[in-house]
Amino acid sequence: MGEETLDDGNRRNFLIKLTSVVGGAGVAATCVPFVASMNPSSDVLAKAETEVDLSNIPPGGMHTVAWQGKPVFILHRTPEQIAASAASNGGLDPQPDGKRVKNPEWLVVVGVCTHMGCVPNKEGPGWECHCHGSQYDDSGRVIRGPAPKNLEVPPYHFVAENKLVIGKA
Amino acid sequence: MNKLITILASCCIATSVWASEAKLETVKVGLDVPTVERGVGVMMDSCHSCHSMKYIKYRDLVTFGIDKQKVDAWRGDQPLDATLLAQMSDSDAMAAYGKAPPDLSLMAKARDGGASYVYSYLLGYYVKPDGMPGNHLYPETKMPDILGMSGATDAAQRTEIQSKARDIVSFLAWAADPEEQERHRLGYYVLAYLFVLTFLLYLVKNQIWARLK
Amino acid sequence: MPNRIIKWIDHRFPLTSFVKHELTGYPTPRNLSYLWNFGFLAGFVLMLQVATGIFLAMHYKADIALSFDSIQHIMRNVNYGWLLRYMHSTGASAFFLVIYIHMARTLYYGSFRAPRELLWWTGQGLLLLLMATAFMGYLLPWGQMSFWGATVITNLFQATPFYGDQVVIWLRGDYTVGDATLSRFFALHYLFPFLIIGAVVIHLVALHSVKSSNPSGIDLAAKDNIPFHPYFTAKDFYGLGIFLIVFSVFVFFMPNSLIEPANNIPANPMQTPKHIVPEWYFLPFYAILRSVPNMVGGVVAMGLSVMLFAFMPFLDRSRTPGGGRYRPVYRIQFYLFLLVILVLGWVGYVPPTDLTIIIGQVATLLYFGSFFFVPFISKAEERWLMKRGLPAEVTALIESETLEIAKRKLNPRRRKGEVA
Repeated sequence: MGEETLDDGNRRNFLIKLTSVVGGAGVAATCVPFVASMNPSSDVLAKAETEVDLSNIPPGGMHTVAWQGKPVFILHRTPEQIAASAASNGGLDPQPDGKRVKNPEWLVVVGVCTHMGCVPNKEGPGWECHCHGSQYDDSGRVIRGPAPKNLEVPPYHFVAENKLVIGKA
Repeated sequence: MNKLITILASCCIATSVWASEAKLETVKVGLDVPTVERGVGVMMDSCHSCHSMKYIKYRDLVTFGIDKQKVDAWRGDQPLDATLLAQMSDSDAMAAYGKAPPDLSLMAKARDGGASYVYSYLLGYYVKPDGMPGNHLYPETKMPDILGMSGATDAAQRTEIQSKARDIVSFLAWAADPEEQERHRLGYYVLAYLFVLTFLLYLVKNQIWARLK
Repeated sequence: MPNRIIKWIDHRFPLTSFVKHELTGYPTPRNLSYLWNFGFLAGFVLMLQVATGIFLAMHYKADIALSFDSIQHIMRNVNYGWLLRYMHSTGASAFFLVIYIHMARTLYYGSFRAPRELLWWTGQGLLLLLMATAFMGYLLPWGQMSFWGATVITNLFQATPFYGDQVVIWLRGDYTVGDATLSRFFALHYLFPFLIIGAVVIHLVALHSVKSSNPSGIDLAAKDNIPFHPYFTAKDFYGLGIFLIVFSVFVFFMPNSLIEPANNIPANPMQTPKHIVPEWYFLPFYAILRSVPNMVGGVVAMGLSVMLFAFMPFLDRSRTPGGGRYRPVYRIQFYLFLLVILVLGWVGYVPPTDLTIIIGQVATLLYFGSFFFVPFISKAEERWLMKRGLPAEVTALIESETLEIAKRKLNPRRRKGEVA
């Protein structure tokens, strides 16, 4: 065995430091593909936009479509429903109806209860969540707890009069 | 040592002789957008009715840089995420040809010789003495001579068919390995980095071992 | 603060002394050549395969209806999926290349000789585990080569006495290679690397008990050993850099050269490809299988061709140190043996013709002959070398090292059995 003590901190010179930094950068860069591979793949990302044809939803009718794997409620509101929604500001999380729709005839909300993530059911005016009893009105605003917030409005835009794309505002 | 080299060399020759049993015309594929775009066009006109490409989506074509309007024309009312499925069902193809046409997504990687195989196959049609079309490379083929090679008589026609075949093959080569260009680009960076790192490691190793003397 | 933590641990667990004795301070012969890098490289490739494998398994589906598609999903949709998969598929070849060089070095320098028999045998066990893992992994993409390779290899077990057919069906869980086979191969392909890691630990314990061999074939005295760190860490990392350059050329520029074209066609149990070949690392053994006309004989011969290496410590009867370095006849034998393996590999690759079958049979005889004649040749060579006298260089080396050894014998703290 060699007698000398080697590499004991103060003898680490510039070359070794430089090599360690360069090598460490390589190890860090190598982690990138591994970590990135766990992010949504390109086919999942492609599902980030959903095209919906509105022509066969009658007034008062509701369609549920999948967007990013989550249910999105599309409610074709009747003039009475629009009037009722516009009249109030909701309950626990006040917000005017006008801010929640682009076209008052069409309400588009993510059908996931803001409490624990169950899917509320369409019942009477609005929705009721059967898991813990939260209630939402026809604008998707929470009117009875325990849910703390209104149903989320996803980004969407109309590409034609009765065609909309969910996923991009 | 000389003996060893001779034997190794003869092995190599023997192997290559076997590999080129049927002579392949080598083709240099073009992975640029215009070539691939022309290739998709020919594919859509001539191959797509029977052959599917189930790992390629219309969206992939747009992402690669092919004109969106052309892609929209090809896909008709299918969504952008639809794959390039054949217009003919497998069972109809079975009835017509007695064999389901293979999916082409990986064809440029699925034969010995790769793209050159497909190229040589497409150009391998000729008229047999009995008047029927035959294929030099794959005599059992059920596919008709879609590019009309066997009927082409003058040189200009043949050149045109050859360039058409090259376009198809280029598209197939891209489809079989869409990441190839990205892979090469990243590869140069990785190699450049590794050369620097290895050189540094060599210096470190020398420096440390110098302490022994 | 870190010092206090280490102190706290050392009070309860021999951390510092373990690192000092077994890692940084592990005494290593100073004359090791670059051929001694390959054990470290094998460990690196093992880690690389485990890491890429675990991340691939997050996207792979072990179901005959889905597995081929899931590979394409990895190649086309998963972020950097192509990179992970090409690293894994190239890594399999790299693993065998590194292990074969590691073994060739052991054979050439006679590193398997006493007292390193157990080290050699644990390595032999590792080779078998590696082969099993590679073979099972090769089924997973569910291409034509995967399917027919697995069919042929599981059929080898028909050679089992009395219960051949039942054993084959039991292995497959089906009458042909099917969904049950794919699922179990995936389960075992995920398990085996961890068995390999366990076996590597045993291999390293054995190594650290007998210490590394060296090109001279003589166990060096303490004065010629140097601490592993920083000398061999520096050397191993430099070797790793070279390895990574070669590896990256394959991964980024020619990854498909290591994947048979037919494996890009989904498995079809109704049609065998015209020409089925195993991966390059199995070719010589496959050639031996094909060279024996009798099926059971072929299977036995193939099994023996892998296992015979384990007998080398008994077959080599020469006491001359240094393996091929100081033994001209052994050196020639070694190179001839390599040549025979290359010829067998070529025979395994080409489709069988009358000529290649004869070449294969001759090469098979030479392969087994190489082992069979080792005891006689090594003894004769030893006598011849004794008569001729060892080269001055060897005698000098033995003398300088034995002097040192004699001195150490007086030292009661020295470990016993280290030097024969």
